[in-house]
Amino acid sequence: MAIKLSKIINNWVPENSKVIDFGCGDGSLLKELFENKQVLGYGVEINDTKIEKCIEKGVPVIKLDIDKGLNDFMSSDFDLSIMARSIQCLKNPDLALNRMLELSKRCVVTLPNLGYWRCRINLASGKMPITPELPSSWYETENIHLCTIKDFENLCLKENISIKDKVFINRNGNQGSLSKINPNLFAVEGVYLLEK
Amino acid sequence: MKMETKLIHFSEGIELESGEKLNSFDLMVETYGELNEGKSNAILLCHAFSGNHHAAGSSEDFGIGWWDQLVGPSKTIDTNKYFVVCCNNLGGCAGSSGPSSIDPSSQKIFGKSFPQVSVLDWVNSQKMLMDKLNIECWHFVAGGSLGGMQALQWSISYPDNVKKAGIFAAASKSSSQNIAMNEVARESIRKDENFHNGNYYEHNVIPKNGIKTARMLGHITYLSEEHMDSRFGRKFQDEGSKVEESVSFEVENYLQYKGEQFSELFDANSYILMTKVMDSYDAGKDKPLVEALKNVKAEFLIVGFYSDWLYPPERGKEIQIAAMNNNIRSSFVVLQGDHGHDSFLFSSKTYSNLITNFIES
Repeated sequence: MAIKLSKIINNWVPENSKVIDFGCGDGSLLKELFENKQVLGYGVEINDTKIEKCIEKGVPVIKLDIDKGLNDFMSSDFDLSIMARSIQCLKNPDLALNRMLELSKRCVVTLPNLGYWRCRINLASGKMPITPELPSSWYETENIHLCTIKDFENLCLKENISIKDKVFINRNGNQGSLSKINPNLFAVEGVYLLEK
Repeated sequence: MKMETKLIHFSEGIELESGEKLNSFDLMVETYGELNEGKSNAILLCHAFSGNHHAAGSSEDFGIGWWDQLVGPSKTIDTNKYFVVCCNNLGGCAGSSGPSSIDPSSQKIFGKSFPQVSVLDWVNSQKMLMDKLNIECWHFVAGGSLGGMQALQWSISYPDNVKKAGIFAAASKSSSQNIAMNEVARESIRKDENFHNGNYYEHNVIPKNGIKTARMLGHITYLSEEHMDSRFGRKFQDEGSKVEESVSFEVENYLQYKGEQFSELFDANSYILMTKVMDSYDAGKDKPLVEALKNVKAEFLIVGFYSDWLYPPERGKEIQIAAMNNNIRSSFVVLQGDHGHDSFLFSSKTYSNLITNFIES
């Protein structure tokens, strides 16, 4: 069974901390963090149906485009910001990372790995990758800034962002040994705890 | 739906924010549904500028309630589950004490001598009503526009008596542009030759033209450019259904009709008083809003509408940011809304689901 993101990042989330989740979806993650860590969490989401679900769960939510939302809530003092599977959809992922680390002490970022071997096979055959993690065609996808694990870590280095912890997820949704040995080839997703 | 309308007398009177005192006053109150045994299902609805106690259902005097689209059996605010309370605010003209009611001390119409009230005074008088109804905590206090300002003020003034607040198409204070619009409305009333400096009752006239013009202007600010364009466009009014001979466009006829209708129902002094309540409100009392929200315990649902240019979504966002800086569990959602500022009055799928989910969560 796949591990839940809330379980992976559980140790990274301080009790009673103030958390903002960019691209929070239906609010499940914040709800779990509220139950496990008593966090005060706010979600940022653009989809009305997902926002209704957040409110139904009692998860406070702000309707905003993440690209804009990052600029809007600059003054807030969060302990942790989260951006799960969304950074590759933003116009300026590099600016977004820096902004997140301005408005919170630490941030959690998860991203799909374009270096995963099945993506490479797709590319080698001359086609844009379509995998269970990246199921959309190039013309339909919201992922406009895909990168590999290596690319992302290079960006962190360039921006002086330190990687405090990281976890790699394999195609079964677990932390397999292969994805630990060579994440850039075997991980479908990287989960990072970042600090500046 | 069990619906009751009654005039409630408060012989103890009320000290107003201005320092003046009303020695006694009446509130016209309407309730829907029934209070449960635990008294945990009470909801207070606060009306906007020209609204009144009649929020839902149908009445002979006031027709269909102002929030009937959202309030009723099995509706967004379900009167089968909740005991919903709405009152005509002090200074209004739908039964509660106001400029057009009789001053008990002189047995004459108050007129201009009715003291200026405020959002805080309204909330304080609603708290007195709450005590009289033996309700300890509102499950939900909600309103749009000026009603949203009351919901916000409730959470500030009585943090232990509000669980959730719904603040829709509202702001923590009026902008300079809002005040300017209201001043044009007031000026048109004051300059009506039948106004008689507010003592028109003695002359047995009403400053009808003044109220009409004021309402026509107000009405424009409640709608959006898009809404007006799609509804009226540049269509001409057909001869047969013209309200005024001089009009040619349909939008002119519509405004004439709306203004005319309103001028016969609404008291001019109340109009001036209500606009001043709106203008003078500042939740932060000249200080940053974030300080005013320090003791708030209620959860917020703030909704703004893109088509609203009177209290644009930006104003709601200011409340959201101040709320987040106070660790208030607050949500802020902007919806398209097809009716400009008035969008808060109309039911739409998302708006309705948000409110229901918020109340039930």
